[in-house]
Amino acid sequence: MTTNLNTSVKPTWCPGCWNFQILTGVKNALTQHKKQTAIVTGIGCHAKIYDYINLPGLNTLHGRVLPTCLGLKVGNPNLTVLGFSGDGDAYAEGAEHLIHAARYNSNFKYLVHDNQVFALTVGQPTPVTEIGFKDKTTPGGVKLQPFNPIKIMLAAGASFVARVFADVKQIEYVLKEALNHRGFCFIEILQPCLIFHPDTGHKERTHMLGKEHDKTSFEQAWKKAGEFDYNRVKKIPLGIFYQVNKPIFEDQFPQLKKLGKSGWKDIKR
Amino acid sequence: MCIYKIDCDNMRLNIVFGGQAGQGPNILTHLLGESLVKQGYYVFYSRDYQSLIRGGHNFNVLTFSDNLVNSNNKEIDVLVALDENTKKIHEKDLKKDAVVLEGKHENMYFAGRLFKVLGLDFKILDNELKDLKKRYKENIAEAKKGYADAKAHIKLVKPIKKNSNFASGTEGIANGAIKSGLDIYYAYPMTPATPVLGELAQAQDANNFLVLELENEISVINASIGSAITGAKTMIGTSGGGFDLMTEALSLAGMANVPLVVYLAQRPGPASGVPTYTAQGDLNIARHAGHGEFNRLVLAPGDPKECEELTSQAFYFSQKHKIPVIVISDKHLAESFYTMTEKPVITKSQKTTKLMRYNSYEQDKTGAATDNPGIIKANFDVRIKQSLEIEKQASKFEQYKIYGKKNSKNIIVGWGSTKGAILDSMQDLDCKFIQIKYIEPFPKQVVKELRGKNIILVENNATGQLGSLIAEKTGIFIDGKNKVLRYDARPFLCNELNAEIKKRLK
Repeated sequence: MTTNLNTSVKPTWCPGCWNFQILTGVKNALTQHKKQTAIVTGIGCHAKIYDYINLPGLNTLHGRVLPTCLGLKVGNPNLTVLGFSGDGDAYAEGAEHLIHAARYNSNFKYLVHDNQVFALTVGQPTPVTEIGFKDKTTPGGVKLQPFNPIKIMLAAGASFVARVFADVKQIEYVLKEALNHRGFCFIEILQPCLIFHPDTGHKERTHMLGKEHDKTSFEQAWKKAGEFDYNRVKKIPLGIFYQVNKPIFEDQFPQLKKLGKSGWKDIKR
Repeated sequence: MCIYKIDCDNMRLNIVFGGQAGQGPNILTHLLGESLVKQGYYVFYSRDYQSLIRGGHNFNVLTFSDNLVNSNNKEIDVLVALDENTKKIHEKDLKKDAVVLEGKHENMYFAGRLFKVLGLDFKILDNELKDLKKRYKENIAEAKKGYADAKAHIKLVKPIKKNSNFASGTEGIANGAIKSGLDIYYAYPMTPATPVLGELAQAQDANNFLVLELENEISVINASIGSAITGAKTMIGTSGGGFDLMTEALSLAGMANVPLVVYLAQRPGPASGVPTYTAQGDLNIARHAGHGEFNRLVLAPGDPKECEELTSQAFYFSQKHKIPVIVISDKHLAESFYTMTEKPVITKSQKTTKLMRYNSYEQDKTGAATDNPGIIKANFDVRIKQSLEIEKQASKFEQYKIYGKKNSKNIIVGWGSTKGAILDSMQDLDCKFIQIKYIEPFPKQVVKELRGKNIILVENNATGQLGSLIAEKTGIFIDGKNKVLRYDARPFLCNELNAEIKKRLK
């Protein structure tokens, strides 16, 4: 990356927020990335990252990161595209796009900042908040089972499914792996919210998948995905659960394969 | 000789083709239409079909003349009944000396009989069947039998040969998009916008653009915005319900300054409404959809030629000002075939966007979100200035069109697909027709045409939405008794509308 990734905007995340680690990890991974890159963010605390990385793209509507990323890839397949969402963005407002993104397998990377809570709207439960969680809007506590995004992505046919903790090194590692993967990459980042959800997904309870884990095995991935049901459990596995090569969206359309460096913009009629 | 008259001496024949879905009345109607246009006649046909795949009752009404035709009549000169039900349903509209073609036959047998009844040379039919490029042997055999079984019944007035084009509103929109340099068309199927999706999908390889169907309308518009910010020329298409789903992102295009062309093909609402029929109920939502205040254009073509022209103008304005532009049509215009004698004038447009920092939030110069009151106000001031520029540039285009008697005190106003029936029904009347093509920005100068006149409003909706718009923009309120509104999901018919207008003339 030749451009300076820093911006002059002063971050407004809470002091000590794990999002700072994600920001640094992403910048580190992109520093060595040579291709023109665009970023797309949704709405929520995660989306502030758009203002802290000096890259083109769109800070789009709540829940619409995935179709926007697809549009960018269709507009110019030669772009590297990173999408960022929160768990509200990815699993609530935009959930319908998630399974289709896995099915399309367009070659962009999707990072979900999962703090298991709607933080920017001051603490309501999302589809991945654990049973028993209470806030002003849920005086009786959350009663519904959270869904398991890793399992959903595996079932929907995603070609790259990973979960990491919001730690600079882990982000850097997984994003570099993802940038080398040809296809849709689903990366969930456990990122506890210091204010509204401080005690779930703590780093101490996580462990990396061992060398014995075969990431080309759907059965092993599925089994490991089941170990954390997004309620409070003792052990949370992290790492690349699944990675296989599948045909990508952009390869299915001869019109896209013909395009040059700037995509359709250069097509004169 | 069988002639339909609306107080003028034109030959105007009305042929109804009816049958069950799947029996092929469409092929038959189109075949006759094409042949007649090639002979020099003016032909118009519309399709009346139900939301089912096999069975039921579908029918097409084809009206033709040696003079201009842009709509149908009610009374039938020739009924082609592919099943028994068709005769039962349409019997009441048959003229005294009408010809009914019935019996259990292949549909090309009916083609043969029909050509004979109309006194058309068999060679003309033979050529059409060759052009179909399928089942020629079987078709020609059936057609020959039919031709032999009938006798010439109607003596047609010979038309003047002319070079005309037989086209639907759908083809107009698709051709307009292609000629404007479309790169990517996104859509989710919804009647009556789907035919444009099909038309463009068929043309994509030859013209090197891409057509994609995504999981829903929300994805369609957001992907379109994603592609547009890379510099691609994009367009999307839908009907009312799908358009509702798109409205949040329409507002995004307005905020982020992204060019976007939206084809909105109306059908009767609210909700699922009457999916395969026609209405003009979405003028208000086209004008107002999306939260917040942002600039847009709403353009309303009234025939296939205007579909091409206004689609190209939509690309021009969307690229020039980086805003959404809506081209509003309806089922009647989209799926009817018209005889166009003039070539459309295409407005060229450049690609103006490039990949940079875009934002759904109010933004500063670096593209970062801001809540600074000075920047917010400045951004709005830019939008206000832009709206004035748009108005100025729009005035260089034909924002409204005038037909009929220049000095008449009777003024018919309308928009979109009602143009056809209005033009046909006013031919012998003392009136002037003003067709509003630019809904937004509204041509305020039209006020000089309306002030002090007997204004008759014709709309295919229940509340007279154009009438409200005229009142809002000009202060002129149209008398309730002068509102001719049809809202049974069917288009206006020439002779019925002629009677309605006549009652209101001064």
